[in-house]
Amino acid sequence: MTWRTLPFLAASVLLIPLAACTDKNEASGSGTGGGGIVKVTSTDDECLLSTDEVSRGTVVFEITNKGTKITELHFESEGGKTIVGEVENIGPGITRELTVQAAPGTFEVACKPGMIGDGNRVKFTVADS
Amino acid sequence: MFANYLIGLREGLEAALVVGILVAYLVKSGRRDLLPWIWTGVVIAIAVSVGFGALLTYGPRDLSFEAQEILGGTLSILAVTFVTWMIFWMARTARSLKGELESRMAVAAEGGAAALVLIAVLAVGREGLETALFLWAAAQATGQTTEPLVGAILGLITATVLGVLIYRGAVRINMAKFFTYTGAILVVIAAGVLSYGVHDLQEGGVLPGLHNIAFDVSAQIPPSSWYGTVLKGTVNFNPVTTWLQLVVWTLYLVPVLYLFFRTVRKPTTSPVPRAAEAPEMASQPVGELR
Repeated sequence: MTWRTLPFLAASVLLIPLAACTDKNEASGSGTGGGGIVKVTSTDDECLLSTDEVSRGTVVFEITNKGTKITELHFESEGGKTIVGEVENIGPGITRELTVQAAPGTFEVACKPGMIGDGNRVKFTVADS
Repeated sequence: MFANYLIGLREGLEAALVVGILVAYLVKSGRRDLLPWIWTGVVIAIAVSVGFGALLTYGPRDLSFEAQEILGGTLSILAVTFVTWMIFWMARTARSLKGELESRMAVAAEGGAAALVLIAVLAVGREGLETALFLWAAAQATGQTTEPLVGAILGLITATVLGVLIYRGAVRINMAKFFTYTGAILVVIAAGVLSYGVHDLQEGGVLPGLHNIAFDVSAQIPPSSWYGTVLKGTVNFNPVTTWLQLVVWTLYLVPVLYLFFRTVRKPTTSPVPRAAEAPEMASQPVGELR
């Protein structure tokens, strides 16, 4: 390996995760899968969800920060033991997406305005159907 | 706008510091000719991050959470490896200050050209994807409001300006101090990056102990404050630090800092490769090595 090949090697290191992508179109309702799109609104003291139950499959959380602080979205197991998915750096006025493959069960969605503490938590159910 | 500004600042600060120090090092050691390699690395990292970020934002596919955390964690640990290598490279340079400084450094730098590209790629690319995703999200919001995008870009510009100021300040101080200070700063930055990488891997479920918290000072140092942002952006200080993070941070920082100072201060016990010590190398005029 010469130093001429290194930039390409370096670039490819950054591209490895392409292989680890999930298809967010599955959540749009077309096709057989369940899942769906959940719109989340995070304010400085509330976490509002368009629905708190979906069927198993690909779930896309579209979170919009309508507060004044930077917020985060966590999708966690009940009680917050493990993080299933998380998106950070949601500045005021910004909408970001979190795509997860949801298995049936009870979960919690947490908006964390100010990136602090347990956040505003909402129970979320993934039905087995 | 200010909150988005702080995100831009935080995400850009560490890369700006590392690149600023690296550039100062090359300028200071008379190796301006190697600067294009740094910029090559920076451009590659920005291009890949922005491109990949656009693909994920506008394309049909999303990066899974685990993949993103594992990517962040792995890149962080890779970055630490290379920055550590660079620190000792600089320490050896500092130690050989007396005498044929420039020619020795030139010899050391030849082997390092490739590593320079990699360090620049890792320094910028480590947080590059997350920053790009944030920027694209801010760009998408411009239909309703341009404030997030303007804030984010101003934050990144501030980080870049701070990087330039660090560079300006660093090239002014004398050689011996320069290597000692920048080296020590890099050790502290690298320890923070390692701790950050560990946290990413904990969040991704690769490493355990996400909920075993060593300390939580988020009430005293809120992550959304400007000082919380600067601490996070420079030394990766996490107000809620897990035990594993703290242990790994300490296990890296203490020995590496010790070895670094020992290398800088003891000119005689030298781990420098024999080739670099060879008298014919040392007596070569600098110009011929370029």
